[in-house]
This record gives sequence, C-alpha cells and structure tokens, in this order.
Amino acid sequence: MNNVVIIGGGWAGCAAALTAKKAGADVTILERTDMLLGLGNVGGIMRNNGRYTAAEELKALGAGELIDITDQVARHKNIEFPGHKHAFLYDVHKVEPLVREKLNDLGIKIYYESRAVDVIKNGNKIESIITANGKCVEGDAFIETTGSTGPMGNCLRYGNGCSMCILRCPTFGPRVSISQRAGVEDILGQRGDDAYGAFSGSCKLIKESLGQEIRDELDLKGVAILPVPQEDVNMDKLRFKVCQQYALKEFAENIVLLDTGEAKLMSSYYPLEKLRKIPGLEYARYADPYSGGRGNSIRYLSMAPRNNALKVENIDNLFCAGEKSGLFVGHTEAIATGSLAGHNSVRFLLGMSFLELPRSLAIGDIIKYTNEMIKTKAGRKNRYTFSGGKYFERMKEKNLYTTDIEGIKLRLNKLALTNVFQEKLL
Amino acid sequence: MEQQIDCIDAGTEYCPCYLAEIGECLMCSQLQGHVFCDCKNWKGVCIYQEYVWNRYQMKEGRKNLICKVVNKKTISDSVMILNIAVNNTLLRELNQPGAYVFLRHPEDPWYYDTPMSVVRVNEEEGTIEIAIQIKGVKTKSVLKVDNEIYLRGPYWNGLLGLKYLKMLRNEKALIIARGIGQASAAPVARKLILAGNEVEVILDGGRIGVNFTEDYLRELGCKVTLKTVLDLKKLEIPDDTLNYISQVIKEKDIKLVYSGGADKIHEGITRLLKQINNDIYFTCSNDAKICCGEGICGSCQTRLEDGRRVKTCKTQLDPLHIFGGK
Repeated sequence: MNNVVIIGGGWAGCAAALTAKKAGADVTILERTDMLLGLGNVGGIMRNNGRYTAAEELKALGAGELIDITDQVARHKNIEFPGHKHAFLYDVHKVEPLVREKLNDLGIKIYYESRAVDVIKNGNKIESIITANGKCVEGDAFIETTGSTGPMGNCLRYGNGCSMCILRCPTFGPRVSISQRAGVEDILGQRGDDAYGAFSGSCKLIKESLGQEIRDELDLKGVAILPVPQEDVNMDKLRFKVCQQYALKEFAENIVLLDTGEAKLMSSYYPLEKLRKIPGLEYARYADPYSGGRGNSIRYLSMAPRNNALKVENIDNLFCAGEKSGLFVGHTEAIATGSLAGHNSVRFLLGMSFLELPRSLAIGDIIKYTNEMIKTKAGRKNRYTFSGGKYFERMKEKNLYTTDIEGIKLRLNKLALTNVFQEKLL
Repeated sequence: MEQQIDCIDAGTEYCPCYLAEIGECLMCSQLQGHVFCDCKNWKGVCIYQEYVWNRYQMKEGRKNLICKVVNKKTISDSVMILNIAVNNTLLRELNQPGAYVFLRHPEDPWYYDTPMSVVRVNEEEGTIEIAIQIKGVKTKSVLKVDNEIYLRGPYWNGLLGLKYLKMLRNEKALIIARGIGQASAAPVARKLILAGNEVEVILDGGRIGVNFTEDYLRELGCKVTLKTVLDLKKLEIPDDTLNYISQVIKEKDIKLVYSGGADKIHEGITRLLKQINNDIYFTCSNDAKICCGEGICGSCQTRLEDGRRVKTCKTQLDPLHIFGGK
C-alpha cells in the first residue's frame, strides 16, 4: 500500500522520488530513455536571479540534495550575463551519473527504457501503468513528470520538425501524456501568434569546434558574448521562445554563449551558415539538438489541470510536477514542483491533508500564481520562472527575491516548514 | 486501457496510406483528426512526419503487376499450385509469415482480385508458390489462367499475433493446420525453425484431402503428425485430437501455438489454451474475408472483446482478443 510510481525521470521526477522516498514510500521511476534528467542533460543554468532564492528555499525545506549536486559540479559560480545575476552553470556531462547514484543509494527503483503508454483505472483511481514493452506497473499513488516537450509529430506540427534533441524520441519512442490517457484533457501553452507550444530556448555547440579565444573566455568567465552581424539580427525570433527570461534585445543582437561543458547558445535555433559568419564560430557544430541549425523541440503542449498541492484534477491518486504541472521553465522550477508532488503523494497514501506551500515563499507563490494564470488565454501565452520575465518582476515586487540565505532560513522557520521534506511520514 | 492494435503497414514504404489522407490512420493520433501526439504503439517511424514530408499525401500504393506463371499444377480436384515469377524486391518482401498477394485472371475486372497466401519463396528461381483452393467465382476464374496473371502486393497481415512469432527463439512450438490453411503454416514453420525452435506439426488434409505441405515441412525439420483437426458435423476439434494437443503442449513444454485453418479451429484451440496455461502465445491465420486489403471496404471487419470493430486486413492484434471472447 506504499507504492509511489513516478512516470518520467527528469529533474521533476527525480525530485519527487527523493521526497516520496524520504517520507517513507516505496518508489519506482519509469524512465523512457536510458538516462535520467531528460532535458537536464543539456540545460545547466541554476541560481540565476530568483532561482537563487528558490534553490535556498528548497534546501531549507529539506529538499536540497539535487541543488547540492548541481552546486558540486558547477563549472562556474556567481557569473553574470545579460539580464542575469549570480548564475551557477553545472557541468552537463557530470550531473546525471551523480543523480543516478544518489537515487540508487536511497533504494529508489528505476526502470530505464520503460515508456509508459497507458493506464488501468478503477473509477477515479489509477491502478497501474502499462509500458510499451507490455509491463504492468502497479502503484498506490502516481506522479506524472513526463514533461510537455515533443514528441516528433508535435515538433513538426508546431515547430520545424524533429531536430534530434536529447529526448531522442525516434530511439526510445514518444512521450505519452498519462493524465490524458487517464481521461483528463491536457492544457496547451500558446505563443504570441496564437499558435500552440513554444520552441526550447537554447542549443549546445561542441566547444572544441569553437575558436581558441572563445574557448578560453568560456573556460575563464563562463560567458562569451559575440555580436551578430547587423543584417542577421532577428528580433522576431524572441517571440517564439519559451524562455522569456532570455527574450531580451541583447539576446537578438548578440550571440550569448555559456559554458556548461558544451557551449550553450542562448537561441532557440540558428542557421548554421549564419552562425559560421561570426568570427570564432567558423567551424561551429551543434551538439544538441543535432539539427540546431533548423529548429528545436516544441514545449508546453501537455499540461495537466491540478490543484496547488499538485494533484491532478479528477484523478484521486495522480500528481504532477515539472512542465506537466504548468508553464514552468527550468530545472529549479522542476525540482521545486517535483519535491512537493513527491511529498504529497505520501500524504495521500496516509489519507492526510495535502501540503500547500504559502505565498510568502517564492516556490509557494509560483505554484499558485501559475495555476491562476494558466486559466486565462493571456496567461497561457506566458511562461513562469524565478529567473526572469514577468514572474521575476513579481518576485521583486512581493519582496520574495533575496539572496540572503539566513533570511530565507528564518522565513522557513517562522512558517514551521524547515526540513518539512525530510520528515518520515510512513 | 484499450487493447493495443498495430498496423501491419506502419513504417513500411506503403505508409502513410489512404487511411492517413482521410484521417483514419490506425496508429497516429495526428492523422486521426487530433492535433497532438498520443503515440502508444510507436513503430520506429513518425507516420505524421512521413505524411508531411510526402507533401500531405499518401505514399504510392501497391501496383497491379502482370506476372509470368512459371508452373501450374493441379494436385487434387480442388487444389492448384501456381509458381509465379516476381521481381527480387517483391520476392524479398513476400518471404515472411503472413505474406499474401491478390491474384486475378488478366481478362477479369479488378473486383475479381482474390487474396492468396504465399506458401514459399524460391529465391534462386525468382518465384513464389501459391496454393489455391478452387471454391468460388474468383478462384474458378484463376483456375483458367495460362501464362500470365495479375498480381497485387505485397500484403502481410495473413496471420494474427505476428509479434509473438517474431519473438520466439530456441523454444518449442506447435503448428496445427488444416486444409488450405497449410499454405499459411508453411512460412510460419520456416520462420520458427530459422530462429532455432523445435517445431511439431499436426496436419489435416481437411476438405481438400491432400497434405501438400507435408514433404516441405519434414524437409524443414518439423515433426509431422497426421490427425483429424475438425469434426465437420459438430464443427469442433475432436476430443482425441484435443487430448493429443494438450499432451504435446505439456510434454514438450510448448511456448507458442499456431493455428492455420478455419475460425472454428482457432476458437477450439483458444479454449484449450485458456484451460491449460495462459502463458502460451497463440497465433493464427487471419481468415477474415479480405477483399481490398487496404482497410477501406470493410469486408474483413471483426468485433473485439471490448466491442470495438477493426478491419483485420491491416490490423495486427492478439488473436485472443477476437477468439477469446466467443
């Protein structure tokens, strides 16, 4: 009666696994590919702007394991790039094995190459998940963290086709929306021109393919900013991006590269020929997506309606986190929602009331605010992240943004929420 | 949960087909009138992408070819064997269990097309062997062919439960075939033997009265036993045959059973398997009345246990979901 099954082993799924395990459940993760972390294998940006606050809130709440790992493998700490302060860049080549080890150590069962394709329901409850290879995985509570990106058909209908990203749908098979399979209709994000979905916001270039000067600058400072030739500046492109925190003028007029092990190019996609006109990038090649010259993955096509405890509406025992739970951008946002969903899944097993985080915490506020906004058309055109755009503005207005670690701890203490995610309930 | 159904043509050069153009694709939600992916049974190819890359059109369909009849042999009053020369591509594509083609006399109109299983492929001679039971309007007309015949293919859904057949390696299998159903059983036996399986066969000449695959099956290395498989009065498998089948299954630790013949045999074996052990894979010939082969006409339609209707000329599914419910 203590089985929590998590569908999707990205940042949100891993975070949910940790809090559910710590609260006392037997935890199983079904991962579609052969690696954990999903898009976390190509991301890397932590603690920029309001994410700093959220990361420290997570640590004080008792869900700091994943933040600690990303801090531990940070290639650069406290760097600045246009619009962003005190960013940490983790090494995308080192982080996944460490997370895997952490989960293994805690006895969390992980089934790789296990693509969830359907559910068996009994009334309003899910009884088990069916995988593409015919396995039937039973559980008492389920957490869907399958994300909202791809698969190929969506990337084609709403984008420029499959650009061969880290999700590797052709190899491991496409993501299936489990909540939709369970009969709850997905919510779709929109973009400026009323089309659905949005492009992922960055690509990776193979560092070795860049000029020596740029490589040195990246190794030393973590950031390189290269001006785009005037004739190639395309302001329009900013409208299509997921990451509104990077949809700034500076990102259209310049090529912004960040060092995450690869050179992270802060642009959804960039035609290779144009890219190679920029001094130092004459030999540039894409590492992710492989066809970054043509397009990028399409996201926000599959959000589940949920409450502020992250339980999916109309299904008694299904929770959600990460992009599945709203128009969130980023690892920190995934870890934050994942941690809450994992914890609440165990409260569900015990018949306890759910934990909702208060609005006086950045994490509590973003979960509630996003849920309000997703119900409006304008809200569905926006994205929500601690690191920029509209939500970071709100954080500042509401005095939620701070880098004062002691202050955050004090806030948590006053709310009696310190280490709440460490508590063993079962 | 819905029973998983696959399209036999998914990912082949004939996919996407007519069904995609009219929003009735068996596999792809984007081609069923939805605007999102719900890709439960991925076959390694994005059908929607193939469709878009093909300028929102189906791929070119199968063609009618005029083929040379190399040999025509009557082996009983009602059975004729044809050896037909085909090109290498078709030869390769037809060299698998479940493969069939449509045949017709060159002077007949298209609605004389009749589906026929490929018994075996002779790669050196470049021919396929087809066994035809002369029974009705279409086959009587085929009987009159001389040197040439119209052929449309390749088609592959001549048997149900194909994935189990493809999976089985170094195990033991039992084939039960009756009458013209032997035609579909021969390539099944070959496939199983090639995958290192031991194969037992129970043959019954049935209405055609000849075991035209017996020599070939023995040549392949199958152990062949002759028994009556269907009691024509009761339309059931006779008790002693049922006993024999269950004895073989238990003693030999059979992992897969193939039934080639009438639906009544499939039903009888399904019942028996349910009694013995649910872990045995069941595959059988697809005996629906196939007319167009393209998922259009509906003559092959059948009802599943859950009440859904499927067109079996293209749909691959677990036969227990058809015969298990009766």
